[in-house]
Amino acid sequence: MAFWTLYRREAGSYFISPVAYVVFFATAIGIGSYFNFVFNYFNDFGIRQYTVLQACVNTFFFWLTLMVQVPIITMRVFSEEFKMGTIEMLLTAPVEEWEVVLSKFFGALTFFVTLWIPLLFNLVLLSTFSNPHVPIFWKPTGNTFLLVLLIGTFYVSIGVFTSVLTKNQIIAAILSFALIFLTFSISFIPFLNVTGNVRDLLGYFSALEQMDTFSKGVFDSRPVIFYLSATVFLLLLTQRLLEARRLKS
Amino acid sequence: MIEVQNLSKSYSGFRAVQNLNFHVNRGEIVGFLGPNGAGKSTTMKILAGYQPPTDGQVNVAGFDVVSQSLDVRRHIGYMPENVPLYNDMRVDEFLRFRARLKNVPKAKLKERVETVKQLCSLKDVERKIIGTLSKGYRQRVGLADAMVHDPDLLILDEPTIGLDPHQIRAVRELIKDLGKKHTIILSTHILSEVEMTCNRVLIINHGRIEASDTPANLTKLVRGGGSLRLEIKAPAADAKTKLAAVPDIEEVEVTAEGEWAQLRIFSKPGADIRDNVYQLVKKEGWDLREMARERATLEEAFVELTQD
Repeated sequence: MAFWTLYRREAGSYFISPVAYVVFFATAIGIGSYFNFVFNYFNDFGIRQYTVLQACVNTFFFWLTLMVQVPIITMRVFSEEFKMGTIEMLLTAPVEEWEVVLSKFFGALTFFVTLWIPLLFNLVLLSTFSNPHVPIFWKPTGNTFLLVLLIGTFYVSIGVFTSVLTKNQIIAAILSFALIFLTFSISFIPFLNVTGNVRDLLGYFSALEQMDTFSKGVFDSRPVIFYLSATVFLLLLTQRLLEARRLKS
Repeated sequence: MIEVQNLSKSYSGFRAVQNLNFHVNRGEIVGFLGPNGAGKSTTMKILAGYQPPTDGQVNVAGFDVVSQSLDVRRHIGYMPENVPLYNDMRVDEFLRFRARLKNVPKAKLKERVETVKQLCSLKDVERKIIGTLSKGYRQRVGLADAMVHDPDLLILDEPTIGLDPHQIRAVRELIKDLGKKHTIILSTHILSEVEMTCNRVLIINHGRIEASDTPANLTKLVRGGGSLRLEIKAPAADAKTKLAAVPDIEEVEVTAEGEWAQLRIFSKPGADIRDNVYQLVKKEGWDLREMARERATLEEAFVELTQD
């Protein structure tokens, strides 16, 4: 099956590129120091009503990290192939367009997941070495990471989609950041003077409200369906665009 | 192996290829010859199933390139122009990746990769990163990639461009060797290459096929397949008129005047005029210092056929 061969190459290519390691360590250090900061703050002021993880993922810093890292991961997936001309070599092998799109998407998603392992590692460290013991609250933690994965899936599909539009990696990165930020800014609308049904409707799409719910440990199936269907739609669009690009050239 | 009927291709109004008709039989080595921008690469991209034709029917290995593109791609090995490769992979890793992609069975994978590395003399760079290789090696990696799954048909777009004379010779030998088992269509504008490797030449210009024949026959097309060089002691103008009257002579050209006149004589296609010329020289009593037959080269055929 060509998908596995392609997926192994795509996922593997992140781990041999220096840029990927820069992104990985920047995220790890950023998250680590922020985690440390929140922990110390809670300790000094005796805050008990939130967990450290909950505080970490409901702040501006977390969202900024998420929104910046995804375009950097995904900008090269198609743009580089177009620029180097390797797409011609790839698509004259017996592979189908959807296999190429899916392998690139899952390759990028794999690296995205790798980027968030340090946060989990911080939690484990905290529960292992803290005295008195701080437990890991598995249900809220699981829900939080599930939502990070879901939002990541959606953002990565936006990144893959913008990468198929251009052969310039920088343009692809800026475009995907703009789109990601646009979808994220739905979260800001409830803060404006919007009331009634409109506010309720927009609340469903608000990543901030979803994170608030999930990090409390409450599972909601609506975001799951929304993010997965949006991802499928964007990947379908990507596949059609890839095909169109080949056919019209 | 390849069946092309009324193939046309336009890019946003510009007609790159118009009404191409040709076929390639199994086991042939066909050279695709033409000046830059004649439509060679476009045709090859269409044959490889990468781009669809605007109009016409193209069958490769018994499959239609548009509706059965995947089947076509299983049966061909295509080496694009400028050989795009993944610069971050090692040669060995790349060839194994491509072999898996092209459905080489697991049991045969190692053997196939070893074979193509041997054929393309890549043994000494197998651990190197492709991005650091020289042009010649990249070209050979591209060639190795094209034939790693042992395809029936090899489509090579300018396989020897950018190589040094030794490498060109090596690639030429390789292509000749491969031609015993595979069908090959290659594009080039190096004429000596075609003359030495190909059974048949297609000359294409402005998106049209100008000629399709063996290299030997093509050179015969050019003003009777050659000329006669003559050096005699005679007044040039006088000799010219007298020679022009000899049967089967089409044209006489004076190339040098003086005590010894040099002339170039073109015959009608297929005619041997040497005997007649000698008889005339003997009758007129001119001193003869040189008479030699000059063969037309493929280069002349090419220039003549692609002239505007």
